[in-house]
Amino acid sequence: MSEIIVVTSGKGGVGKTTVTANLGLGLAKMNKKVVVVDTDIGLRNLDVVLGLENRIVYNLIDVIEGSCRMKQALIRDKQCDTLYLLPSAQTKDKTAITPEQMVKLTEDLSEEFDYILLDCPAGIEQGFKNAIAGADSAIVVTTPEVSAIRDADRIIGLLQANEMPKIQLIINRLRMDMVKRGEMMSVEDVTEILAVDLLGAIPDDEAVVVATNQGEPLCGKNCPSGQAFENICRRISGEAVPLMDFQTKTGVIKRLSQIFRKS
Amino acid sequence: MRFPGRRSGLVAKDRLKLVLTSERLDCTPQMMTMLKNDMIRAVDKYFSVQDKKVEIRYIKDRSTLLIKIPLQSDIEKSAPGMSFWR
Repeated sequence: MSEIIVVTSGKGGVGKTTVTANLGLGLAKMNKKVVVVDTDIGLRNLDVVLGLENRIVYNLIDVIEGSCRMKQALIRDKQCDTLYLLPSAQTKDKTAITPEQMVKLTEDLSEEFDYILLDCPAGIEQGFKNAIAGADSAIVVTTPEVSAIRDADRIIGLLQANEMPKIQLIINRLRMDMVKRGEMMSVEDVTEILAVDLLGAIPDDEAVVVATNQGEPLCGKNCPSGQAFENICRRISGEAVPLMDFQTKTGVIKRLSQIFRKS
Repeated sequence: MRFPGRRSGLVAKDRLKLVLTSERLDCTPQMMTMLKNDMIRAVDKYFSVQDKKVEIRYIKDRSTLLIKIPLQSDIEKSAPGMSFWR
């Protein structure tokens, strides 16, 4: 049985595409057959985050319209050969497809793959409706900011109204130093406000920017965000992994060097 | 940047609670304030209410409106209406 998961957020720029790419890679590294689908028609980005932008020949719309076979449109990832990308079209817009067509597409994909991850566009319009149509679970991505949380709450309401069977939360770009000072909402604060199950939290990490620059997702790499993504993948596959402790142990020398850097 | 008094994380949380309550109930913030004032007025007939600390929340998964009305700590003094019953 394959799992069809939509990654959504409401607000743009909170990390949906980064999360989709990293979870796709992480699950594929666990020897699962995974396809990541970019449903953001007109504003595709999952291809560049995965570093596959030069390999696109056909796209989602071509498959739906029947101008190519599914196999022709799927692009195999550079890092992991059980991960595939179904890119979006850049020249069409969200009204080019219907929710029914998305349901059909995800059904076709579920014959081949263990996990189908749908990268949802920002907003609550047609693109969102298309993306959630075929999914049987949703991951809502937010950051610990008022604007992102407010939009996440709206999205959760819409998902519940559409009877999404499973809704889980990822809190992205967490800064533990700020949380400790009381200048950022904590994981507990955000989870309490949104009242949905927490799938995981990802610390704010420069390595994510570097990885995106290079087009190589970092799930599983030896950095805080890489580990956090890997933990989330293990949770998705059913393992009980405790929430990561983001308290970076700062030794005397590091603390001293930080003091000197500030002054 | 440090603000004097309350930490901004807490400020954010409180602001969100209020705005999400009004959005989840599809009820304007003004109506929320009116409801809050009515609640304070009703309870204040019997007890002295710490009206600055009154909080209204909507618990989505239980479809419940939660209204927290803290009273002045000195109940004896703060409940003039109740002395009638004693």
